[in-house]
Amino acid sequence: MSNEGCGAPAGGFTVTADAAGKEAIVEGHVTVGGAPASTGYARLRGSDDEFVAEVPLGEDGGFRFFAAPGEWTLVVLAPGGVREERVVPAAIGSVTKVEVAV
Amino acid sequence: MSRSDVLVDADWVESKIGEPGVAIVEVDEDTSAYDKGHIPSAIKIDWKKDLQDPVRRDFVDKAGFEALLSERGISNDDTVVLYGGNNNWFASYAYWYFKLYGHSNVLLLDGGRKKWELDSRELTTKVEPRPATAYAASDQDSAIRALRDEVVSSIGAKNLVDVRSPDEFTGRLLAPAHLPQEQAQRAGHVPTARNIPWSKAANEDGTFKSDDELKELYGEAGVDFSKDTIAYCRIGERSAHTWFVLHEILGQANVKNYDGSWTEYGSLVGVPIELGEAR
Repeated sequence: MSNEGCGAPAGGFTVTADAAGKEAIVEGHVTVGGAPASTGYARLRGSDDEFVAEVPLGEDGGFRFFAAPGEWTLVVLAPGGVREERVVPAAIGSVTKVEVAV
Repeated sequence: MSRSDVLVDADWVESKIGEPGVAIVEVDEDTSAYDKGHIPSAIKIDWKKDLQDPVRRDFVDKAGFEALLSERGISNDDTVVLYGGNNNWFASYAYWYFKLYGHSNVLLLDGGRKKWELDSRELTTKVEPRPATAYAASDQDSAIRALRDEVVSSIGAKNLVDVRSPDEFTGRLLAPAHLPQEQAQRAGHVPTARNIPWSKAANEDGTFKSDDELKELYGEAGVDFSKDTIAYCRIGERSAHTWFVLHEILGQANVKNYDGSWTEYGSLVGVPIELGEAR
C-alpha cells in the first residue's frame, strides 16, 4: 500500500513506534449492534466544521488519523443511515482512543 | 460541459451493468477495496501502479496508456464510468487522466464508492475481465495540465486554488491528517493562492453540491471566473476533484490541474512560499 497518496487506506496506517512519539493520533473502532462495522467511514472535522480527513473503516471497524493537536469532531457514517458524532482531543505523542457503539 | 454531461447517479449505473459499450471502472489508491467488493462488471485501475511511470515522476506515456486500456478491454468508443473511494478523489483524477489522453465519453458516478456502500447497493467479488482491445490514445491535452513553471508565472495573475485542508495550506501540516507527515521539504502554499478545500464542494455522502452552491463557494472565496485557473493539492488527485467541479460541472474554460502539486512545489529551490492564512 502506498503512503505517497492522499488516499484513505481502510483502517488507516499502522502506527510505528517512531510515529507514535511524534504524531497526534486518534484511533478507535465502530460497532453496530455489537458487531464490527466493516463497511462505513470515519471523518474528522475541525472546530469550525471544516473537513479534515476521512477513512473507510477496516474489517474490524477500526480507523486511525494522524491529526494536528487540538479538538476535533469525529463523524461516523455507516449503511442504514448510521451517523454518529464524538468530540475528541488529539495531542502530540499520544493516542486518543475512541470506541463508537451504535 | 455541464453536470448532466459528466455525472451519473447510482440508479443509472445499476441500469448499465453488463451493457455492451459501457465500461465501469473503479479507481482507488487502495485496490484491496475493489477486491473486497466492487460494482458488478467493474474492472479496476490502480492510480499508481497503472497510471504512473514506474521510474520517473510522471504519467505513463501515450503508448503506456494505450497498452493499459487495451489490456483492460476498454475501446475508444466505450462509455467509461468511473467511481472510487475517498469521495471520488482518484476517480476524478482518472477522469482528468482519461480526458488528458483524449477519451471522449467519460462519466463519474456521483458519490462514488462511498454513497454506493452507504446505500447498501450490491457489491461483488466476481471479476469479469473484458476482452482485449486496440486502444488508440491522443497526445496529452496540455490545456488541462499545469506544470511547475506555469504555476510560478501565474502567481498574482491567475486564480490559484489550493484545495488542501486549512492546516496544510497554512503550513501546520504537510499531509492530510490520516497520513504520516512527510513529503515536501517545506510547508505552506503558493503566494496568492486561495484555500478552498475540495471537501467544500462535496456533501457528506460524497456527492457534489449543487451548481448554485458551487458557484457561490468559489466566487465568495475569491475565484475570478473571468480568469484562468490552476488547482493544486499535494499530489494532484484532490485538485482533480476540484478541476472536475470547475471545468466539467460548472463549465469554466481554462482550468488546469497541477498534478506536481505541493510535493513538487514545496521542494523546489528558490520559489516563493507563503505561510499562514491567505493574504
